[in-house]
Amino acid sequence: MASVAFRNIEKAYGKVKVIHGIGFDIHDGEFVVLVGPSGCGKSTLLRMLAGLEEISGGEILIDGKVVNELESKDRDIAMVFQSYALYPHMTVGENMAFSLRLRKADKATTDERVNKAAKILNLDPLLDRYPRELSGGQRQRVAMGRAIVRDPKVFLFDEPLSNLDAKLRVAMRAEIKALHQRLKTTTVYVTHDQIEAMTMADRIVVMHDGIIEQIGTPLELFDRPANLFVAQFIGSPSMNVVQGTLRSAGGSAHVDALGAQWPAPVGGRDGLAVHYGIRPTDIALAADGQGIAARVIVVEPTGAETELLLQIGESSGQEGQFVVVTHGRTNVQPDDTVHLRVEARHAHVFDAGTGKRVA
Amino acid sequence: MKAKRMSWKKVSNEAKLLLIGIPVFLWTIIPVYHLFLFAISGRDSATSGRLWPKEPTLQNFETVFMQKHYYLNHFWLQLGNSLMIAVAVGVITLFVATTAAFAISRLKVRGGRTVMNMALFTYFIPAAFLAVPMYRTMATYGLLNNRWSLVLAMVTIASPYCIWVLKQASDKLPWELDEAARIDGATPLQLFRLVYVPLMVPSLVAVGTYALLLAWNEYLYGFLLLSKETDLTLAVALGNFLAADDSPWELLMATGLIYALPPAAIYYAFKRYMVGGLTAGAVKS
Repeated sequence: MASVAFRNIEKAYGKVKVIHGIGFDIHDGEFVVLVGPSGCGKSTLLRMLAGLEEISGGEILIDGKVVNELESKDRDIAMVFQSYALYPHMTVGENMAFSLRLRKADKATTDERVNKAAKILNLDPLLDRYPRELSGGQRQRVAMGRAIVRDPKVFLFDEPLSNLDAKLRVAMRAEIKALHQRLKTTTVYVTHDQIEAMTMADRIVVMHDGIIEQIGTPLELFDRPANLFVAQFIGSPSMNVVQGTLRSAGGSAHVDALGAQWPAPVGGRDGLAVHYGIRPTDIALAADGQGIAARVIVVEPTGAETELLLQIGESSGQEGQFVVVTHGRTNVQPDDTVHLRVEARHAHVFDAGTGKRVA
Repeated sequence: MKAKRMSWKKVSNEAKLLLIGIPVFLWTIIPVYHLFLFAISGRDSATSGRLWPKEPTLQNFETVFMQKHYYLNHFWLQLGNSLMIAVAVGVITLFVATTAAFAISRLKVRGGRTVMNMALFTYFIPAAFLAVPMYRTMATYGLLNNRWSLVLAMVTIASPYCIWVLKQASDKLPWELDEAARIDGATPLQLFRLVYVPLMVPSLVAVGTYALLLAWNEYLYGFLLLSKETDLTLAVALGNFLAADDSPWELLMATGLIYALPPAAIYYAFKRYMVGGLTAGAVKS
């Protein structure tokens, strides 16, 4: 177990800079998820930590020790790859024992650790099989087993669930989280899937174009996104955002957008051009005649909740589409008119120029 | 109804294949049949033009095996030379080509590709033109009339192609395997020994067999570089049969038939290793 620190990390391929001075700390035993759209640099950052990519600038520390010049094998880390990367000519047991074999561990220790890891992951009946004889989920578990056997300071996961089908992904997600709670090994996990990030992380690092947009616990990011990018990236269905003008006077505020007045939290200067955001789950349907009118386009019942796609501001000339999620079932039909109630405390206001949170 | 149409289609496909296959088969087999025919014919009936000799005989083989002819005085020794040289060429080429391909393809050694391309460039020059420079080189190192000169020459000739084939094959191995092994703590040599070589086995068998057979069948370089009767390979010795005005054709063919058997045996022995799919299950593709 160990802490990890990134100090002003930069990465460039030739003249193209892909990571621009990233710095943050990961505490001992923490489960940190790096999340962002593809090309944001999250995998590159992980691979630099693993020693598979050279570090162009800055320092990476594991347990307070700079590891920039250390070989992968000397960093005491274990990595689970998206493609599993199992040795195809070795059985499950041999795959898991490989790192110990390289370190010339004696047979008793090797067997004990392989068996222990196999038990944790329910792999004991498969130890003599070859990777080609396993299903995708089993291979992924072997890859994790190979990491566990090492008992490393840090676990690295590079999009480990991307190749699994949706159902298995959810199951493995829980398995990885349970594993972390049991082993308490510091873990860095890369994914592009914000749901994976939200469900698994102690803290999430949201990356975009080689910089960090925000670091925080899942709920911090969800409740108070620091900027428009994080607001739209985190949460599913994603946040409704409209452009408007902030009106602030006498201890109350609203945003003029789509021909309506949207209640907003106090903060920011009157007349500022802003993006107004509200999550689909934070909008309630109001009684007729109150709130903001909208026309229903599509109704998508999912059983527990109903998702409505709405058209707003048709009369004002500025149109926009909103998604609203209501709990339970409604008898709303397409082309019906509904009224929306929004509370100021649920709204997010971002500066239209910088994208930064205003209130 | 549908089943019938399907079977008609199958029949016509089969017929097309046969139409191509039969001439190709005859084309290939007739010279071999002639070889066989001569080998089992007596001295006088060999050129009679019959499809099957009147009195088939194994006398020729006895003559060969007992070394009972002037040209065949060193038959067993020369067969041994051929074998020794072919195996040495196979093993050395395999070693050179595997390590080179590993360095170029997996370790990405700087300049590796250039070296490979330069080596391949030598194939633009026909091997026959290189024979004289090769002769000079061997003379400089004092290797003429030494069987190692032929081994070294054949390794030189076989290596570029083998490196190229192995490089292509190893480029297809998943890169993540190397990374996983590095993280697991493997040094480059351990990576080579424990991960790379086991996964390359089918290609290694193919390449090794290629080099071995190339050396087994080589005539020109053997003829140039070796001159002592006891150093010759059987291929060169067979060529010497033609030095006389009345060559003993039936003995030449019997020896040739014997000489052709080991390559056939090697091919059948190694065929089962030359299969793909060894990396199945390594990575999701």
